Amino acid sequence: MIKTTKLLTSLALAAGISVAAQAADTVVRHLHLNNDPRIPAMWEEFAKEFEASNPGVDVQIEFLENEAFKAKLPTMLQSKSKPDVFYSWGGQNFADRAEAGLLQDVSGLAGGLQKNLSSGGMSAFTVGGKVYGAPYMVSQVGFWYNKKLFAQAGVKAEEIKTWDDLLEAVKTLKKAGITPIAAGGADKWPIHFYTTYLAMRTGGQDTFNSALAEDVSWDNPDYVKAFKLFTDLVALEPFQSGFMAAGYGDASGTFGDHKAAMHLMGEWDIGVQRDQSQSKEGVKDEDLGFFNFPSVPDGKGAGTDTLGGINGWAFSKGASPEAVKWIEFFLAKEQQSREAAAGFIIPVAKGADKAVNDPHKSIIAKNLAKAEWHQVFWDQALGSDVGGVINDVSAELATGDVSPEDAAARIQEAWELR
Amino acid sequence: MAKQNSIQSPVTNLVRLAVLFFFSGIMLIPFWVTVIGGFKSLGDLRVNPFALPTEWDFSIYGTILTSADTWKMMGNSVIVTGLSILLVLLVASMVAFTFSHIRFAGKKYLYNYLIAGMMFPAATAILPLFIKVRDLGLLDTYPGIILPQVAFGLAMSMMFFRTFFEQLPQDLFEAALVDGCGYTRFFFTIVLPLSTPILATVGVFILVGSWNNYIMPLIFVNDTDLYTWPLGLMAYRGEYGVEWNKILAYVTVTIFPAIMFFLFAQKYIVAGLSQGAVKG
Amino acid sequence: MSSIRSWFYRNNQGGRITTLLLFLPPALTIFTLFVVLPLGEAGYYGFFKWKGLSAISESGKWMGFENYSRVLGHSVFHSAIWNTIKIILVSILIQLPLAMAMALLVASTGALNNFFRLVFFMPFILADVVAGLIWRYIFDGDYGLVGQFTTLFGMDPYYPLADKTWAFNSVLMVVVWKYFGYHMMIYIAGLQGISKDLLEAAKIDGANNWQITFRIKIPLIMHAVKLSVFFSVIGALQFFEMVIPMLPGGGPSSSGHTIVTYLYTYGIVRMKVGFGSSVGVILFIVCMAFAFSYQRYVMKMNND
Repeated sequence: MIKTTKLLTSLALAAGISVAAQAADTVVRHLHLNNDPRIPAMWEEFAKEFEASNPGVDVQIEFLENEAFKAKLPTMLQSKSKPDVFYSWGGQNFADRAEAGLLQDVSGLAGGLQKNLSSGGMSAFTVGGKVYGAPYMVSQVGFWYNKKLFAQAGVKAEEIKTWDDLLEAVKTLKKAGITPIAAGGADKWPIHFYTTYLAMRTGGQDTFNSALAEDVSWDNPDYVKAFKLFTDLVALEPFQSGFMAAGYGDASGTFGDHKAAMHLMGEWDIGVQRDQSQSKEGVKDEDLGFFNFPSVPDGKGAGTDTLGGINGWAFSKGASPEAVKWIEFFLAKEQQSREAAAGFIIPVAKGADKAVNDPHKSIIAKNLAKAEWHQVFWDQALGSDVGGVINDVSAELATGDVSPEDAAARIQEAWELR
Repeated sequence: MAKQNSIQSPVTNLVRLAVLFFFSGIMLIPFWVTVIGGFKSLGDLRVNPFALPTEWDFSIYGTILTSADTWKMMGNSVIVTGLSILLVLLVASMVAFTFSHIRFAGKKYLYNYLIAGMMFPAATAILPLFIKVRDLGLLDTYPGIILPQVAFGLAMSMMFFRTFFEQLPQDLFEAALVDGCGYTRFFFTIVLPLSTPILATVGVFILVGSWNNYIMPLIFVNDTDLYTWPLGLMAYRGEYGVEWNKILAYVTVTIFPAIMFFLFAQKYIVAGLSQGAVKG
Repeated sequence: MSSIRSWFYRNNQGGRITTLLLFLPPALTIFTLFVVLPLGEAGYYGFFKWKGLSAISESGKWMGFENYSRVLGHSVFHSAIWNTIKIILVSILIQLPLAMAMALLVASTGALNNFFRLVFFMPFILADVVAGLIWRYIFDGDYGLVGQFTTLFGMDPYYPLADKTWAFNSVLMVVVWKYFGYHMMIYIAGLQGISKDLLEAAKIDGANNWQITFRIKIPLIMHAVKLSVFFSVIGALQFFEMVIPMLPGGGPSSSGHTIVTYLYTYGIVRMKVGFGSSVGVILFIVCMAFAFSYQRYVMKMNND
């Protein structure tokens, strides 16, 4: 009976018949894609605290799975049900949306954000001098590895300095009967970490900037060489069998189930591999290690350059001042410190980095501090057209379906036609 | 009818039955593993997809069935499908009636204009359609999902109706006219009540298409409160990744209404989907 | 004024005009608004590079036939076309003969035959996304039946959906599984319409079962066969929803696209309205060319 009533109520709600008188509240809808359930749970606490001191505001934390999020966002932002605040990777996609009028200029209300957050982070969410969002965390992609499996095969992570060292390690692991690397090939973007990191190593920041400025093309010799280096790895068959059918979550689970020794991923994977593993324990902290993406000795890029994200929150067109207020609270030093202390993020609020005590995250925080060039994920930085093609050709390189030369040429073609 | 079995040897018949049972097995295995998979733990599912669960786990089905979201999206599907059927039946039968019973200039052109809608899939113009629906302010509304479906279901339905109406006895209408009954009243009081078979046929046709429709809600609906069940299912799949026991349970729950409806109304469904096609 | 009124009176007998005014506009409006106009607009948008966010006169960039040459020159689109052709071939060469064989086996009445028909038809009522999702599980190399088989025979785990040569063929299997029952039902409807006297007469003339099947039954339901070929081809051209859960993102190396998943991935998800529209127009032309030539040369049926 109760269930029937519930059903009827929900039907009535769905039919647009308002039964409750909650309309007085300003609702702030906050859309994220974090599939580590502990993090949104903490956000719910933030929301309660915020609501307590801001009566009349109702913060709703909403979730969409990563791939669904990316597929849905373009249409969602044009609809009435768009969220007020949504997850963003910054980069050209963010700028495109700002220029297309899909985002809310909150410059007038952003004083608090600018005071609290690192200026480098804020600049990633500023387009043409106007603030459309705010940074939430920084991340770095690198190799996560399973210390037990490495020890079993006799591989030492500290000795993997160059790309050739990595290839040797893969061979050794294979000999020991261990799957060297987990990869989520079906989602394609996990593979583009390899190709673009290598391109950063072979070409360095100068080549990247020249390509952006169209002084050199994207099919320049450095990038072709990077793709060739990737195919050297592919030739060793380093990935778990069926990796092209596995999405990011599947691959993360493979790593979390101790079935592969490495996973090239950002530090968010610490939580995800745990959550996606069958035991829900994943690779425990003491067995989990991290090393930087190897260098390419004769390349133009430094081994300390980092690929990762400055991820944050974008305000969609029509977002209320309350939404800005909420994000200011959400990103304040205190909240950022709590998340950092729980090992969830590397924070961007000034002074919150002291709270990072997770051993892995503090390594990454140091790496990021050392890096002269921190590049945002290419598939986001270069916009959806070019980014999509980079992901496509990376996946095709992983199966040997495209030559390095053709892969680079397709990126250049996409760049010209973007 | 065809009693050719009587002249078949028992051996032939045995082979026939063996082949049929074999194929039935292939057809049913996916259903079986789906329903049963939702009762298993992930570990059990991995080593033992075929057999009964080693330990019955009712919690997954329990969680899904008691979740308000499940019922909400089922309710949405019922609303969308129900309104789509009603609209198509009304609009298509009305227009078909003008073609079958009323003479007017340009009738042939108008008919061909509408019938052309049968020849190509909705996907051909889906992007302009999205922009149209958006500019009309219909994204995330019931009309936004229903009207395009109705538009694309019109042609086929109209053809069914017209064929049926033309087979109605002509003197029926003449008698009605003599009695002073105009076209409109004739249609609603005489034609429609006589048309239950074709209404059922077309209704089933639209029902199956609309209930199962994924592409239109996918593009026109972003509000989770308006999700129809295929959207809900795909979102659930995205959320739970490789936890196949949960996903299979969810699949079972979502296809249950369709299977039940099919078993109870199979006569109409089969008639609607296959004979309708042949006659059309 | 009065002449209009008298014209109306003369022509509105039985409420003819009122009825037309009442009955025609709903269908015409809905159809024009949501089918014809978008189609026309697709033709127009296809010449632009446009994200669709502001008016096309503001943010659209004229491309001429550039979109078309890009689609037609894109290797992924080629494989999408090839995959569509594969669906058509499998439908005609495997699915329809299977459907015919089963129809002949279960056409006669009887409880057991009724059961078989039900079972063969049942997958058809599933949504394509559901069929795709169920088979995604079955083809899963770790959990599904494929995984079970490989462990049973002590082989390495095998992932058909990750294998470029097998990914789309797996989809084809599901197509046959889901759709042959539908075509079977079409044939059964036809077979049940054949007059019993004719079959009796043939038997008396000494025809054997084989001859009756191939000389009488199948030729008599040729119309149904032609129709089911038509539906198979149109279905193949708009095939989409089953592929999304089975081969997300187009499968390994984008080898598993169909025309519509291609349109979805490259047009809708990336919000490239112009590019996507040009794909839609190509699909429209193919559908129309097929439908007209099929009706003209194969069906030879005229809708007055």
